[in-house]
Amino acid sequence: MEDQIVRMTSRLVVPFIQVYGIYIIVHGHLSPGGGFSGGAIFGASLVLLALSFNLEAGMKQISHQTASVLESGSAIAFLLAGMAGVFFGGNYLANRAAGYPLGEAGALFSSGAVFVITLFLGIKVASTIATLFYNIIEGED
Amino acid sequence: MALSDHFPALIVALLLFSAFLTPPVYRWTPRFSAPLTTFCLSAAFLMAILLTAEVSRSGPLLYHMGGWPPPYGIELKVDPLRSYALLVILGVSLWIFVYALKDLSHELRIYVIGWYYTLFAILVASMAAIALTNDLFNLFVLMEICTIAACGIISIKEDRECLEASFKYLILSAMGTGCYLLGVAMLYMATGYLNFDLLNGALTEAFSLYPRNIFTAAALFIVAFGTKSALFPLHVWLPDAHASAPSPSSAMLSGLVIKVFAIALFLIFYQVFPREILNAVPLTEIVLWLAAAGVMFGSIYAMLQADLKMMLAYSSIGQIGFIFLGLGLDQELAITGGLYHVMVHAITKAMLFMSAGVIIYTTGVRKIKDLAGIGRALPITMLAFTVGSASMIGLPGTGGLISKWYLALGALEAGRPLFVLVILASSLLNAVYYMPIIISAFMHQGEFEYKVRPVPNMMKIPLIIGALAVIITGLLSRPVIVMLQEAVASML
Repeated sequence: MEDQIVRMTSRLVVPFIQVYGIYIIVHGHLSPGGGFSGGAIFGASLVLLALSFNLEAGMKQISHQTASVLESGSAIAFLLAGMAGVFFGGNYLANRAAGYPLGEAGALFSSGAVFVITLFLGIKVASTIATLFYNIIEGED
Repeated sequence: MALSDHFPALIVALLLFSAFLTPPVYRWTPRFSAPLTTFCLSAAFLMAILLTAEVSRSGPLLYHMGGWPPPYGIELKVDPLRSYALLVILGVSLWIFVYALKDLSHELRIYVIGWYYTLFAILVASMAAIALTNDLFNLFVLMEICTIAACGIISIKEDRECLEASFKYLILSAMGTGCYLLGVAMLYMATGYLNFDLLNGALTEAFSLYPRNIFTAAALFIVAFGTKSALFPLHVWLPDAHASAPSPSSAMLSGLVIKVFAIALFLIFYQVFPREILNAVPLTEIVLWLAAAGVMFGSIYAMLQADLKMMLAYSSIGQIGFIFLGLGLDQELAITGGLYHVMVHAITKAMLFMSAGVIIYTTGVRKIKDLAGIGRALPITMLAFTVGSASMIGLPGTGGLISKWYLALGALEAGRPLFVLVILASSLLNAVYYMPIIISAFMHQGEFEYKVRPVPNMMKIPLIIGALAVIITGLLSRPVIVMLQEAVASML
């Protein structure tokens, strides 16, 4: 599909969507939102690019292979972030007890492990949406 | 804290770790992915053994995720019953996985095998976590994960039947989970807790205030777990799903997945609901009659099947009935028998599906009538099949006898001799459809009519281990039975 209006609009809108997605991910502990919703918004921007241009343009942003590596990698990073609790005292997925700095309440970096985990969760969800979409488009293999 | 204190969380985390590590490993160095998953499954099994030893030494263990105590955080609990379930789940899935290594390359396309390992590890992780969790909402999330992974290992074969069967399974399971979530909401509304132990304490008081909410929740739980574990009138998804899946998946689904939900219902009935709720309405009576109907009808349907795997799948509906019979009789010995049947049937049915898998792998035969004379062509496989059938019928020397024995004793103790007759009749019906296969396999006059490939050792050895395990569960049942009796006595 060659549509100048759609292409121009999505080119303009995509950076804003992505920034908004990142905003939702990092502000997960302060305002409604978090890893899943932010990641879904970010992933949607990748889908929008691939839809309004073509698959190659979308793939240029993040290839199928990178997306699946990010997907596995961020899930593993989540598990390892939880392991910090086991190694540095406290229980699995512990926050303050594991030595994550908590910072000042209400500030952006004030949630210790939650911030780290939400970030990985966001990456995971965004890359999962991209991989799902690529898989559907590419069909069989 | 020592590392061993973290085992409840680490078992689940390690399995998930293996699940997420497999896709990249399979993409670049495929030969490492099978050893990786095998290693993680073995390590998890080892941790479960250590946990069981720890629990039998020093009593139930509690683990708070993230250090948050119960009303706020998720609690994991290891008591004798849960550690038994954990051992069965991890042991049987490790054994099935070893068998799957060879069988999968025959049934699946090469590029999805890595994904199969991922789904397998996620499935095992979710089942282990279902056995461990002490939180109703956490249980809901894990049930969803378990269902999705189970659908995944059916539909990964990508033929028409598998897709149709797994879609049916997905929809009906989703109804089951929906019922469960509604039930959880009812209990939460009445008490404000989700933790098993806190609910148990709060429900006595809430019961006098909101009896209808709590009865509705109990009814919804029976429907939810009945659907998930194929209790008789809710079993319609099972035969297609279990028969069309690749053989290792069938072994997993029939052997473990349906039982995990039966154990979850045990936990909810005996650890969440206080005794007076179970006594106030005939909840266990309903389960009892459904289970008895399932025991009979599962066997009758199985007799009518022409396809070997279809027959085994219907037989599972009958056998899950035995497990629920224990819950339904609501009597110490019967519950022990029902719980022992979890292990016996997990091993036996997994082995029967494996032998069916070997038969399909080596000859391509699926129909029961074509199996005449196969005993000479595949002696070890059919010998394992014979041992498995003997256990299904409940012949002496096999695990099946022990669980049926305790169920029958429990039925007599509870003053319900009718159900002894049900158990006997169902055993006879089992004999009616298992024995002809064995007789025609070994006693058939003519030659076996199909070409036979040699059986790979990787498939033969798990079968031999399985046959031995069935005999061991029959001859050396004492330690497990004692452990279960203690667990049951502490719950009742």
